[in-house]
Amino acid sequence: MPVLEPTAEDKQREEELAKEFLAIKDELRRTKRQLAMVMDLNKCIGCQLCSMACKNTWTKKEGREYMWWNTVNTMPGKGTPKDFEKMGGGYKVLFEGRVREPILGQLPTRKEFGDLWKFNHEEIVKTKWGEVVLRAKNSDGTTPEWSMNWDEDQGATGISYPNSYFFYLPRICNHCTYPPCIDACPRHAIYKREEDGVVLIDQDRCKGYRFCLEACPYKKIYFNFETLTSQKCIFCYPRIEKGVTTACSRQCTGRVRFVDYLDNEQGPIYKLVKKWKVALPLFPQFGTEPNVFYVPPLAPPRLDDSGKIDPSKSRIPLKYLVYLFGPEVEQSLKVLQQEMQRTRDGEKSELMEILIAKRWNEMFGPFTKDPIVTA
Amino acid sequence: MAENATTTVEKIVAERVSASREELLKLDSPVWASAKEYALDTAATPLANQPSPYIKATREEKDIGKITRVNIKSVHNGKEIFFYLKWKTPEANLSIGDLSTFPDGVSLLFPMKDDVDTPIKEMGTQDAPTNSWYWRADFDNKPKNQIAQGLSTSLYTENSSIIANSEWKNGEWKVVMARAFEVPEEAIKLAAGKKKSIGIAAWEGSAGERGGVKAFSKEWRDFVLA
Repeated sequence: MPVLEPTAEDKQREEELAKEFLAIKDELRRTKRQLAMVMDLNKCIGCQLCSMACKNTWTKKEGREYMWWNTVNTMPGKGTPKDFEKMGGGYKVLFEGRVREPILGQLPTRKEFGDLWKFNHEEIVKTKWGEVVLRAKNSDGTTPEWSMNWDEDQGATGISYPNSYFFYLPRICNHCTYPPCIDACPRHAIYKREEDGVVLIDQDRCKGYRFCLEACPYKKIYFNFETLTSQKCIFCYPRIEKGVTTACSRQCTGRVRFVDYLDNEQGPIYKLVKKWKVALPLFPQFGTEPNVFYVPPLAPPRLDDSGKIDPSKSRIPLKYLVYLFGPEVEQSLKVLQQEMQRTRDGEKSELMEILIAKRWNEMFGPFTKDPIVTA
Repeated sequence: MAENATTTVEKIVAERVSASREELLKLDSPVWASAKEYALDTAATPLANQPSPYIKATREEKDIGKITRVNIKSVHNGKEIFFYLKWKTPEANLSIGDLSTFPDGVSLLFPMKDDVDTPIKEMGTQDAPTNSWYWRADFDNKPKNQIAQGLSTSLYTENSSIIANSEWKNGEWKVVMARAFEVPEEAIKLAAGKKKSIGIAAWEGSAGERGGVKAFSKEWRDFVLA
């Protein structure tokens, strides 16, 4: 029997369905409030305590072993997965944000993420000291050529001494206001929690098709090869529900991470993002409106050819920071410098007080309870 | 039976045979050699019906639905039903080896209710659900039993009584799916003499086909258990 051409009735039904699906997506994105995170890149020391806190809390077992819902990369670098920002996805934003046109994305490979390495510990234990060296292998037995932080310190190469620079860039799921993963999922399995905007993947609905990973321009979604479902950062919502901040922010020794509702005008996030406008999203041009923001890194001034400090030039090229955080970064850096100067002059600066974070508990809005309450 | 001799319009009949489950699960069983073969033409799922705005915006309908025909034979032994499915594909995509690879698959679709108009293009509705038997190359010949109440709603039941045998050889998949007439999970009930409708879907893994990005038969075919 030949395959039939669509009838007028089919076409009408197609239109009805299209409207229905768009309405479902609007519903899945709808939130009353939005939780957000600010990370101050001037304070991140790349210790990976956040990564380990996340790993120990969420990705130690059941097919999640190779996942790093929280990563910290050395910048400049190719990141995790390798060159993720060149893999497409996200939106082309048109008509001042009224239309978002999805952009085709690529699926990274497991090795581009950094596979789960197996080490030859047993071999070492069973042989004499020095006979065998520690070696890592990918899950398919090949030698690793990438990992979640392979870039370690390579950011400094190729930039002439003494003006080399690097900084760390921690990343989690951005819990975007317009999450491309929600639009991508044909199962309607991904949604934002109405009460706090945390983006979750319903593990009962997900069938592991990976359209979400394709569409996410930040590539912060992992595929679980055991459960055959996609998984990602859940903003520690079981802790949040008990008034405890996320594991990554609680463990951060550098006091880099702030957590609060974006609309809490008395809280640090509102002040950093909306009032002082110093915290910016990563790659804003992806059109997803992330709810993770970064205070851009200031660097020492450049040294000129004679070795003298040239205070007019930053060691981190502005062009590179604009590439990462958009054109607003220039104003953000200016404000940061102004406020730093104000404190040097003995004046008080609300912005500096927040960023220095002497009162640790004030970094987490209402999520200040001890994690013991989750036990 | 030679392919050009396949029939495409008449109802599909599952003849009653005296053969065991073990015998009928064999792909080279003489029972299958003598069973009548029917062709089910398939085509791309309409892009307009994709529940994902992302898929709609990033795919073209002409690139979807690589498998254009699935040949089907069916027999029963009075207690169990057997489907022998065959389709051409140049290479076998057996597993999710990496994030960017997808396995081949095939699925049979049945309306749950015989007396209610059930739209095949939408995999049923809330009041007229469908039951699908979903074989995938990485399911270890344990097809999933699914219930759907419209596009994007299909869910695996906790248990599945469907069993399978499969082989890819010389550019062709051969899959036998079998199930008892009556099963404990939510699924269609079958019996000798019963008349049902049947549809089919197929996924070409090498083309990244998964979920609603697939080929399917756009109309129900009558299916009768002799």
